[in-house]
Amino acid sequence: MTAGTDTSRGVKETSEALREAVARQFGRSLHIRTLDTGSCAACEQEIRLLAAPHYDLHRLGFFFTPAPRHADLLMATGPMIRAFGPAARKTYEAMPGPKLVVATGACALGGVYQPDAFTHGGIAGTLPVDVWIPGCPPSPLALLQGLLVAVGRLAEKVQDLSFTQNGTPR
Amino acid sequence: MNPLPVLAGAAAAWGLAALIALIAGASRPWTRACCVVSGLGGAAALAGGAASLISGNSRVVTAGGSVVVGTLQLQATSLAGVFVALLGLIAVATAAYVPRYHEPGRGTGLYLAVYNLALLASLAVLVAGNVVTFLVAWETMALLCYLLILRRPRRAEVAAGAFWFLALSETGFVLIIAAFVILAAKTHTMQLDGIAARAHLVSGGWRDAAYLLALTGFGFKAGLVPLHVWLPEAHPVAPADGSAFLSGLITKLGVYGIALFGFWLLPGGPAWRGILTMAAGAVTAAIGILYALGERDIKRFLAFSTIENIGIIVTAFGAAMTFWAYHQRLLWAFLLLAGLYHVINHGSYKTLLFLEAGVIEHATGTREFDRLGGLARRMPRASVITFVGTLGIAALPPFNGFVSEWLIFQGLFQGFRTGSHLIAILIVLAAATLGLTGGLAIYAFVRGYGIPFLGMPRTRQAAQASEARQPVAGPALLAVACAALAVGAPVVLAALARAMRTVTGVSLRPELLPGNLTVIPAHTKFSGFSPTWLAVFLLAITAVPVLIYLAGRPRAASVTGPVWDGGIVAFKPRMQYSAMTFSAPTRVTFDALYRPSVSLRRASDDPAGRSGPVHYETEVTPVFERYLYRPVIRAFEWLADVVRPIQSGDVNLYLFYVFAAVLVAYLIAAL
Amino acid sequence: MPLWFIRGLRRGVVTTRYPARPDDSAALLPTPPSFRPGALTIAVADRLAQVCPSRALTREGEVLLYDVGACTACGRCRAEVPAAVTDSGQFELAATIRARLIKRIPLADGGRAPGSGAEVSP
Repeated sequence: MTAGTDTSRGVKETSEALREAVARQFGRSLHIRTLDTGSCAACEQEIRLLAAPHYDLHRLGFFFTPAPRHADLLMATGPMIRAFGPAARKTYEAMPGPKLVVATGACALGGVYQPDAFTHGGIAGTLPVDVWIPGCPPSPLALLQGLLVAVGRLAEKVQDLSFTQNGTPR
Repeated sequence: MNPLPVLAGAAAAWGLAALIALIAGASRPWTRACCVVSGLGGAAALAGGAASLISGNSRVVTAGGSVVVGTLQLQATSLAGVFVALLGLIAVATAAYVPRYHEPGRGTGLYLAVYNLALLASLAVLVAGNVVTFLVAWETMALLCYLLILRRPRRAEVAAGAFWFLALSETGFVLIIAAFVILAAKTHTMQLDGIAARAHLVSGGWRDAAYLLALTGFGFKAGLVPLHVWLPEAHPVAPADGSAFLSGLITKLGVYGIALFGFWLLPGGPAWRGILTMAAGAVTAAIGILYALGERDIKRFLAFSTIENIGIIVTAFGAAMTFWAYHQRLLWAFLLLAGLYHVINHGSYKTLLFLEAGVIEHATGTREFDRLGGLARRMPRASVITFVGTLGIAALPPFNGFVSEWLIFQGLFQGFRTGSHLIAILIVLAAATLGLTGGLAIYAFVRGYGIPFLGMPRTRQAAQASEARQPVAGPALLAVACAALAVGAPVVLAALARAMRTVTGVSLRPELLPGNLTVIPAHTKFSGFSPTWLAVFLLAITAVPVLIYLAGRPRAASVTGPVWDGGIVAFKPRMQYSAMTFSAPTRVTFDALYRPSVSLRRASDDPAGRSGPVHYETEVTPVFERYLYRPVIRAFEWLADVVRPIQSGDVNLYLFYVFAAVLVAYLIAAL
Repeated sequence: MPLWFIRGLRRGVVTTRYPARPDDSAALLPTPPSFRPGALTIAVADRLAQVCPSRALTREGEVLLYDVGACTACGRCRAEVPAAVTDSGQFELAATIRARLIKRIPLADGGRAPGSGAEVSP
């Protein structure tokens, strides 16, 4: 074992290779289990639109399934209210590996609600998240981009965006 | 082998047991001694009954008598042999059950004395050789059973339940006396075999009247609808072994009476007699199981299930009589045999279920389904034994209920052999009704076993139930008997076929048991199966996957994880079915029969229900009590009011009555 | 009504071709804002941080921390300081690392000119 950055690069490369292998496995067909951890259901409405003819996620090989045992990806919305925590963990653990978790919407990413006695304020502490999709709610196209990033069919672009106006590409 | 001495030994044992219980029944060792003697008497009765099946009708023995009651004559007939054997089996099982069930004390001593005398009286009914013996024994048996039900007279509803039993028993008794008196008067003999020999001398109208009186009178005791109302009232309030005795044997005495009149004293007769009996049986069976599905109390549920099974037996008897009217003697004997086999089977598993209901009541303190749950973990032995009884009564292979119901169905399916389209259709309708009851019975007993034993305990009492020091030998013996009656069905059927030869004169054995292990329904090319091989086969196919698992353990790496349960955080008992919601589909479908009354009270009209509990109460309308018995009772009360002025209490009026009676007697003598 | 298929044939395919062809229809919906660093003084940054209901904007010294993931695109920051805030029109914002969604925008008072070049998270 080499020390320092060499090790981290080795680990990073391995994880990237593993991610690619998993993405190859999932790229052609992915079963998605949606999980509402206490949201206002606006994200759920956008997710529902994914199956409608205009966005049609089936053409990309994505399918919804209610059974976590058949699911590859857990799409979680909502701020993870405390009462739901054990059920969310049970759902995640019922999914056979390899599995992905996608946090969807501002609530799940830690915005909107602060942690208090009734909510965790985000799903990060309860579930290990692979992809974060911002939005309130994220439009179906944003959801599609997030799913395609999760399976590696699209590259992320948010790291190249500066959200500043003068002189740089927006 | 002459069964009468053996039966006399049984009677002596029971008399001795009653004496022991009366004198010394307050102490535990003497209670046990009484039970041992009673059990020995039961074994003797079982042996004697089985012997009288095979050996044919014994001779008539005169056992003294007096001027008051007439001569006592006894005869052990083959027809009664089935019932005597059942009596013996029940006596042995309850003798093993009583020591752990009843606490020793003065009340228990008296109770056991009454119980053993009731056993004795029942035996006397079954071996009665003449009319007087029969009637005296019958009334004694009824009164002793009334005392049995009154074991705890100060508890709520015990007196009412016992009174229903007594009132309907006495009503039936009047009709039975009438039936016997008609026959005795017309044949000029009091001996039962004499009546049977000379029955052809009685004209058709009197024969039919006697049969109808007997059907109704014995129907009160057997529990035919609408004469059944004492069963659900008396069974819950009697102690468990008392309820078992009532359901297991006393109702069968009513069946014995119907068989006595229908097949021995007045055999044959017009077809309408059989059709009527069959219709009464079919209606009883359907109504019995439908009411059973609406019950919350285990014992009331079992009582209605008894009514259903009595209906099945009486249907078989009625169909047999119909076949006789169309000269199908084989099917006549066959259906009588099937009905008697169902008598033994039902006696064994119903007794088992009632004894186990007593165990549950003592372990948890409640008889309500909705207060039980999860008892299979707390009381494993009781749950296994009850499961055997449940499989038997639900008529599932390979147990005995399946064999006897199969036989009855196969007999009914051969209705086309009568040659009359109308009769064939009626018989098929009866078979369809029995099919409905069979399906509902499985449904009812899934509820009856699943709600108390499976799932989670619904109350603290159920969660703390324990079967330590609960009786287990008696019910276990009956469970073994159920299995033996099923696997050894060919043996039992051979003995019953021998009895049929005596009772009906038809040699059924070659048409019933062509090989040694296969049973066919009286005609070779119709159908057949082997209960013994079926039991072996079922055991084998359940053993095969077990053997495969044990032989080859899976070698692939596997991960054990919890079952996906929808993410429920914790199961609560209220998430389960309750007994009433499980049977709700039936209550909705048969709403016209149940006519439920619903009362709904809310604390306020807030549509979100935020302001307090909602009280919802629904009750099945007691159709027979309200529309049949209450008007009759009111009519009698009105009549009594009309007649009351005769008893004015005025001495002068009474002297006038004496004078008028003497005058009338003088005038009659003079003319 | 029985001729719905003719109506469908006339209308053509309505399914989006995303991701094979770009689809900017979602840019017309509310999207997280972009900021003009030249107009972001410390006072402006404090006002923006106070008015954001989702705690997506906080001021850390000379830098405005902008959590794109927490933004709900409600538009309050733009209504408060229209000169500094504008709609970004970006909706393809999925990230595999949470920190990539937290943008550090230097304030104008920090002495540094509003720079060119992309601001990349550590």
